[in-house]
Amino acid sequence: MEREILIVGVNHRSAPVEVREQLAFNDGLLDGALRTLRTLAPIEEGVILSTCNRVEVVAATADGDSAIEALTDFLAAGEHISRERLVEHLSVYRGREAVRHLFRVAASLDSMVVGEPQILGQLKEFYGRAASAGSAGTVLHRCFHKSFSVAKRVRTETGVASKAVSVSAAAVELACKIFDRLEDKTAMLIGAGTMSELAARHLLAHGIRSFIVTNRTFDRAVELAREFRGTPVPFEDFRRYLQMADVIIGSTAADEYVLTAPLAHEVLRERKYRPMFLIDMSVPRNFDPAINDIDNVYLYDVDDLGGVTEENRDDRQREAEKAESIVEQEVDAFWKWLAGLEAVPTIVALRDKIESIRRAELEKTLATLRELSPQEREALDAMTSALVNKILHAPITHLKQHDRQQEAFYLAAARRLFGIEEPEDQ
Amino acid sequence: MSGLFLAVALALYLLATATFVAYQVAAHDALRRVAVTLLAAAFGMHAASLALRAALMGYEVIATFHDELSFIACIMVGLYLLIALRTNLTVVGALVTPLAFLLALSSFALNVPSPELSPRLQSIWLPAHVAPAFLGYAIFAVAFCLSLIYLVQERQLKAKRKGDLFRRLPSLEVLDNLNHRFVTWGFALFTVGIITGSFLAKVTWGELWSWEPVQVWSLVTWLLYAVLLHARSVGWRGRKAATLTIVGFAILVASFLSVNLVFPGKHGGTFG
Repeated sequence: MEREILIVGVNHRSAPVEVREQLAFNDGLLDGALRTLRTLAPIEEGVILSTCNRVEVVAATADGDSAIEALTDFLAAGEHISRERLVEHLSVYRGREAVRHLFRVAASLDSMVVGEPQILGQLKEFYGRAASAGSAGTVLHRCFHKSFSVAKRVRTETGVASKAVSVSAAAVELACKIFDRLEDKTAMLIGAGTMSELAARHLLAHGIRSFIVTNRTFDRAVELAREFRGTPVPFEDFRRYLQMADVIIGSTAADEYVLTAPLAHEVLRERKYRPMFLIDMSVPRNFDPAINDIDNVYLYDVDDLGGVTEENRDDRQREAEKAESIVEQEVDAFWKWLAGLEAVPTIVALRDKIESIRRAELEKTLATLRELSPQEREALDAMTSALVNKILHAPITHLKQHDRQQEAFYLAAARRLFGIEEPEDQ
Repeated sequence: MSGLFLAVALALYLLATATFVAYQVAAHDALRRVAVTLLAAAFGMHAASLALRAALMGYEVIATFHDELSFIACIMVGLYLLIALRTNLTVVGALVTPLAFLLALSSFALNVPSPELSPRLQSIWLPAHVAPAFLGYAIFAVAFCLSLIYLVQERQLKAKRKGDLFRRLPSLEVLDNLNHRFVTWGFALFTVGIITGSFLAKVTWGELWSWEPVQVWSLVTWLLYAVLLHARSVGWRGRKAATLTIVGFAILVASFLSVNLVFPGKHGGTFG
């Protein structure tokens, strides 16, 4: 039987926010959920990740297929969502894929805003909770610690994290430097893209209560407006509502400016030059850059927010590739280690190692004792062999025991004690 | 005695300035508390020194230019401390404190004996004129500081510079609202000062309005602030309002200096 790492759950690629919200484990529920997770038969170890972008269970198991079933039931057990609807959006990663996914999440390569720094802290926290609840064991300990060091390598060796700070966080920070309080402000979304949705979510979290949403496909505007308890507005009419908005987020796929400088001027006059904060999330841009020259309007595009300029988009691509290759290397290393946790290769490696020591030492001794007869030499050989076998007997018996949780622990310990780990793990 | 208090106040102003600046650099919350405490102590000393002098000399306490400066500085600091009670605008403190230090220092350094006040000036209209006028000046001075900070922060937002300074400075809305409130109050007091001043003029010079330099300058400043307040209702807010506040204050300072130092008429010199 081979040990397998699995990740089962939903994330921002596989499921819309309504589904993710339904599945989220809030703080109060997490410990109980971790205890339940421990009781599931096919699951040896488990860690629950629950952020606004993902709800995923990372598990180690000896029986992948039934573990996936058990975890699907586990996630659907909250009764907020039917199993069918969950399965529709479920993403499952197995084996190497799962390890790669975890590493990419830790390194913020799977974030909605690649490189945003919060995810690593969240990951550490969820791992810590699982560790203290006793649901994380040897394999996941190792896998998570490895993921943290992958994240660190990616952060220090590539420009992924340093350049792309969370765009939304930057937008909120700016809004707080323009406006005293956000509670009495209104935000308008022109176009319902993921980035603008994310920024709106951040603004909501920081106090903005009133939202106006417009989109070329009106249904989508209605859908998004419902999520923010906002007002949907037909795209043909949105100009009439501009003057009500203190913050406007543009993310349409339009080829020409949705908001031109003269229009912005008119809007400002209508609202008696009360300040406006415009965030342009789209490429090509939705808002005429000249708008920034109008008094009391502050226009930022995605690059302004991330501090990333057009020129180094290519750099960013290159940095992302570098990060992916770091992840790949680390997945390989981890994979070797995991394979080592199978009893047979560890026992073989252990025997090989001790045997090679015995041979080396025996040859050294025999080289100095030239007067020995062949029988005497054979006796020495047999004696040392017996010694090695007797010493190794108890450890090897232990390594073959059947409790898999324990086995993984002893295998890892044996590799460390006898120095048969891969060099990069020491 | 009052000289000693003023000297201590000066030393405390200097320390408070250093601490405010240190806070702008290091952003350590303890520094902010120390700075505000030092400034409050300086204010106490300064006010005590002025009160002692007033008790000793009566109206003559404001008979000279540098005494006036000292009064205005003290009121400015008091105003800032009021702001500091309610908000966290340390950067305003970092501007107001050194300004108060310089004003009080000039008062200390130019400590010449006060000339006799003309007996005709010793009327109830003198404090009724001087108190609101000085309060108005001090309020305009703080509004000026707020406007400077507004312009700096506005510049950074437009230019998309998000450095340390940007993070430290308060939001535009806070600065603009506070500025508006200060200008409104300053304008009201300034108006009262002009009206009571003309009564004082009636008592001392025999006529309400004599187109004497300070009166003319005051009228110009008054009109400018009136325009500023009115224009806000049609959308002159933010950068334009801040610029006008600065211009208004510059005219105020220019008139104050010119009548006191350059053309001492009947208003300045012996009495500002």
